[in-house]
Amino acid sequence: MLPAARVEGTLLCHVGRHRLAFAASDVASIAAPDAACVSARGAFRESASVQRVLVTATGEAVGVDGLEIDAEVLSVLPPSPLVARASGGSLRGFVLTRGVLWPLVHLTGFERYLRGLGGDGEGA
Amino acid sequence: MAALESETRQSYLVFACGSSWYAVPAEAAAEVVTFPELTRVPGSPPHLLGVFAHRGEVIPVVDMSLLVGGVTAGSRRAVLVRLPRGTLALTASSVAGVSPVQGPLEPLGPTGVHVHLRGPGKSGTRDVAVIDPEGLFDHLSQGA
Repeated sequence: MLPAARVEGTLLCHVGRHRLAFAASDVASIAAPDAACVSARGAFRESASVQRVLVTATGEAVGVDGLEIDAEVLSVLPPSPLVARASGGSLRGFVLTRGVLWPLVHLTGFERYLRGLGGDGEGA
Repeated sequence: MAALESETRQSYLVFACGSSWYAVPAEAAAEVVTFPELTRVPGSPPHLLGVFAHRGEVIPVVDMSLLVGGVTAGSRRAVLVRLPRGTLALTASSVAGVSPVQGPLEPLGPTGVHVHLRGPGKSGTRDVAVIDPEGLFDHLSQGA
């Protein structure tokens, strides 16, 4: 049996009334909104709104409504095959913290997925 | 004909989702649960309401009514369908219990989810659609 995957350091993000998590190692910086980022709300079919922007080392930028930083080491629960292809395959699994599940996604892949949606998700 | 007789001898868990009745093979129906607040999965289709943690497993919740093109059943109860590849929860507004289903049980349509629903079936006086759980799982796995 393979050991459970773990993530050390997580950015817990609020996106409208939804939740998202990113591994801290995916995020190079946290920036103010600008027109170049895409809103994570697009993944939930909601109108774009951005308060903070997570930026990768290679410049991909995803906007969220708010975020908390969790320094704990968290187990990553694997996704069901039913949802494994969600968000263009960027879903890594789920972390259970603060009493609820958070979808853990790869920031770079998620940004590509959001750009592929086009439309209302783009821009702050 | 042998397949038909086999189908009619099988027991099914019969449940309602919205105004329609469905049946899943009893051996695949693990339990009926009331699920907590769901976590929406980014990029998932509307019929996939979200996921919840149950006994160490992340279980997706599917609204059959939305899946077949209706309106949401709005229920917090679900039938857990356990398969070798994973578990899924199908929302249930009412659960009638375990009973046989009679009928030819042919696919209800040539494409989409209807390929994995069989009928016309009768459970007592109810018209039911029999769910092929493996086929439904495949169908849903391709959609999200």
